[in-house]
Amino acid sequence: MARRPLVFAALLLALAAAVIASLALGAVKVPAAEVIDILLGNGRGGSDQQIIESLRLPRTVEAMIVGAALGIAGAILQGALANPLASPDVIGVTGGAGFGAILIIILFPGSIALLPVGALFFGLLAATLVFAFAWSGRNRGSTGKVILAGIAMLSLFTAGTTGLLAAYPERAPSAIFFIAGGLTSSGWQELQTIWPYFAVGFVLAACLIRPLDRLALGDDVAASLGSRPQLIRLAAGIAAALLAAASAAIAGLLGFLGLVVPHVVRMAGGTSSHTFVVPASGVGGAALLAAGDTLARTLRAPIEMPVGPFMVLLGVPLFLWLLRKAV
Amino acid sequence: MGSKLAQLLVAALAIVALALPAASQAAPPKRIVALTPFAANTLAKLDVMPIGIGETLGGAERFSPKLKGVTTLPLSHPNGPNLEQLASLNPDLVFSSQTWAKGNQAMESLGIDVVLHDPRSIQGAFADTFKIGTLVGRKHYARDLLQSMRKQVKSAVAGIEKRPEVMLILGVGRTPFTFLPNSWGGDIVTRAGGELLTGGVKSSSGFERISDEVVVAENPDIIIAVPHASADDIPSLTEYLRDNPAWASTTAAQAGHVYVSVDNSLLQAGTDIAATIRKVRRAYLKN
Amino acid sequence: MAYEEGLSRDRGPLQRGHGPMGVASGPLEGPPVPAQLLEAHGVEVEIAGTPILRGADLSLKAGELTAVVGPNGAGKSTLVRAVSGLQKMAAGSVRWQGREVGEMRGRELAGLRAFVPQRMPVPAGITVREAVTIGCSARLRPLRRLTGADHEGIARAMERARVTHFAERTLTTLSGGELQRVQIAIGLAQEAPVLIADEPTSQLDLGATIGVASLLRDLVGEGLAVLLVVHDLALAAAIADTVVVVSEGRTVATGAAEQVLSAERLSAVWDADARLTAHEGRTALHVAWLRDGTIRVP
Repeated sequence: MARRPLVFAALLLALAAAVIASLALGAVKVPAAEVIDILLGNGRGGSDQQIIESLRLPRTVEAMIVGAALGIAGAILQGALANPLASPDVIGVTGGAGFGAILIIILFPGSIALLPVGALFFGLLAATLVFAFAWSGRNRGSTGKVILAGIAMLSLFTAGTTGLLAAYPERAPSAIFFIAGGLTSSGWQELQTIWPYFAVGFVLAACLIRPLDRLALGDDVAASLGSRPQLIRLAAGIAAALLAAASAAIAGLLGFLGLVVPHVVRMAGGTSSHTFVVPASGVGGAALLAAGDTLARTLRAPIEMPVGPFMVLLGVPLFLWLLRKAV
Repeated sequence: MGSKLAQLLVAALAIVALALPAASQAAPPKRIVALTPFAANTLAKLDVMPIGIGETLGGAERFSPKLKGVTTLPLSHPNGPNLEQLASLNPDLVFSSQTWAKGNQAMESLGIDVVLHDPRSIQGAFADTFKIGTLVGRKHYARDLLQSMRKQVKSAVAGIEKRPEVMLILGVGRTPFTFLPNSWGGDIVTRAGGELLTGGVKSSSGFERISDEVVVAENPDIIIAVPHASADDIPSLTEYLRDNPAWASTTAAQAGHVYVSVDNSLLQAGTDIAATIRKVRRAYLKN
Repeated sequence: MAYEEGLSRDRGPLQRGHGPMGVASGPLEGPPVPAQLLEAHGVEVEIAGTPILRGADLSLKAGELTAVVGPNGAGKSTLVRAVSGLQKMAAGSVRWQGREVGEMRGRELAGLRAFVPQRMPVPAGITVREAVTIGCSARLRPLRRLTGADHEGIARAMERARVTHFAERTLTTLSGGELQRVQIAIGLAQEAPVLIADEPTSQLDLGATIGVASLLRDLVGEGLAVLLVVHDLALAAAIADTVVVVSEGRTVATGAAEQVLSAERLSAVWDADARLTAHEGRTALHVAWLRDGTIRVP
């Protein structure tokens, strides 16, 4: 039982290390001592301070929030749908958000500021459609129906996205960065618009931790304890949709986090209790994305590469190692 | 007494009238970054040295030799330049283009002035040259420069003997887009004496997607193909366009008049307009 | 071999009965609970357009164990789930301590009855103690922490269900019988006066069945009301104070085992040539398995 606090402490340590790296490293060399001065408010002005405060700090915060949001979204979906393959992609959010963003990039390139709005709108629209189909007719809200509806919606929006890209191939390069998933140093603007969605999603997820534990004992036991299984699933879906759509609005399509981080955390901690898995997935996801993003923008500096491949590079070996030990 | 007051008032007004324009004429920006080759070369011609110039990955831009030694900022989607690098140069003004829309937004939020110049016609290039000159405090120099540029272009288009039918095709991978008259390349070719065929399509972006069938239907005398791909893929795309089987039945293909233009001169506005026109006439239009 | 004629009432170590006045009393402290905990009349249930229950009745008293028996598809599980509030009814009245089940919120109902399904999914990495804690946390506000009183309640539930000695083991390492007792512990953590179990012993071996059976009787002795769905008629006869026979969606008989499970009823409802006997603390069902009357054993 001492394992869990240890694992959680290790995750927090990893997060701290990733945050420090993210602030200290970049295309421009800023000495560590100066970074500390600037963060403590004793900066001497100039471009270095601007780089740390206006570029690296918002980006690091974004990485933490998006990483935590995706990790938590994956954890609550896997719990609610009792399916280890569940992730924000499964409820159609990623496909819809991708379509919404590509729509703006390709058809309205002059209004690039609308990109987060487009991604958020279509992401939530896709999730709404998935829930509407899954909650209609027979077998309302069953896991199988949700997953199948999600796959159908994902295919639909992916086809739409591919069609747009094929119709306007000359605008594809700017779209690829979004599809591969990545953060950009754009200051605090995007967060300022999108933070309410993150906030509601996080709060809802926190309130769902105990109900999800009840759901893990089966629909009957959950009902006996006074919960409503379908309502819990719906609420979990909504929370995951909010977190995933807001994340896609800022960071493009990052599919790996939501699926794998909860599993890594479960295997490391040796438990599927949501009281551990949900917060740990948040911390783990934040650490992974911050680390991956730092790598993505320092490896071939000053070129910034999409962050998706780097998270896979960091996460997959750990995942496979834990898999070997667990089984 | 009254006249003294009146004199004072007039003097005060005169001082204000003289001082105002001087005050509004703030000092021209010193630290300038030019992300487009057009802006960079124009600045060089105006004898204003930028502190940084942008170069796309693959670097096919033609820069004035005066710019040798200036810091180059690699440009990539979606931001354009690396913002940390840009910030460390501490620029007052950045000349950018619509391609880097996301980056432009970020630069503005960092407090940097961003001006967009992406001329798509020769007239537009002249106008932008003047605007850039004004912005950097070289208005008179710019005016003189323009005069000489106009003279050069005039002599470059002198003595056009024939006006062949031309299709100017952008090959985005294997997909053909036609240059329209409202694109840079389209304007150059038209000025050089070509009659630009477009298959009847219109678009505000200056390019429109067509099919190879349209090319065959228009049956131009000359086809100029411009490959648009990553640096590594350009050679193979060039091969493909040169011998494109889909165009084999056109007059151009059968007369051996299918050319591939590999440099950026038709794709992106440059400052060597007269030279570009001459090259088009000599190598492609043969007029 | 000598068979007993009919059933003899030799109770042996399986004691039954409740205190005077029909009010539950026992080790469970607290105000006296009304004797009639559940009154269900005319329960009708349709599933996917097919009528499953066509008018069933059921009632529960504190300190009594009621067994619901019947052939497959008769509607036993459906009846028990309907009165538990887990299954919507097309018609009928179900009152828990006077309150109609449809009018109560989940939490209120959770304090009146605990439902133990036949087999719950076994999540990995959860210990017995954690599972019982989950049962207890249902009574808390969303983000409130567990108090000392809550932890005592968890310990008490585990003790009553006799799972304390493996409280730190994970659920995936338990045998069928141990898991069933843990499920009962989770139900007990709700601290409701009624425990409802749907076929708790159908998947268990003989030893485990005996363990669960004696546990349930002990709980009844403490004052709990227990409602069970069972297949094994001999088991039902041995441990139930009241047996309810369900056949083709109706309750056809309610009463003491020896009256309700007569040879005639066994023939009418189960189409079986069988007789229930009780002797020296053991019950047995004597069945003519082969219709032609011959068996291999002499």
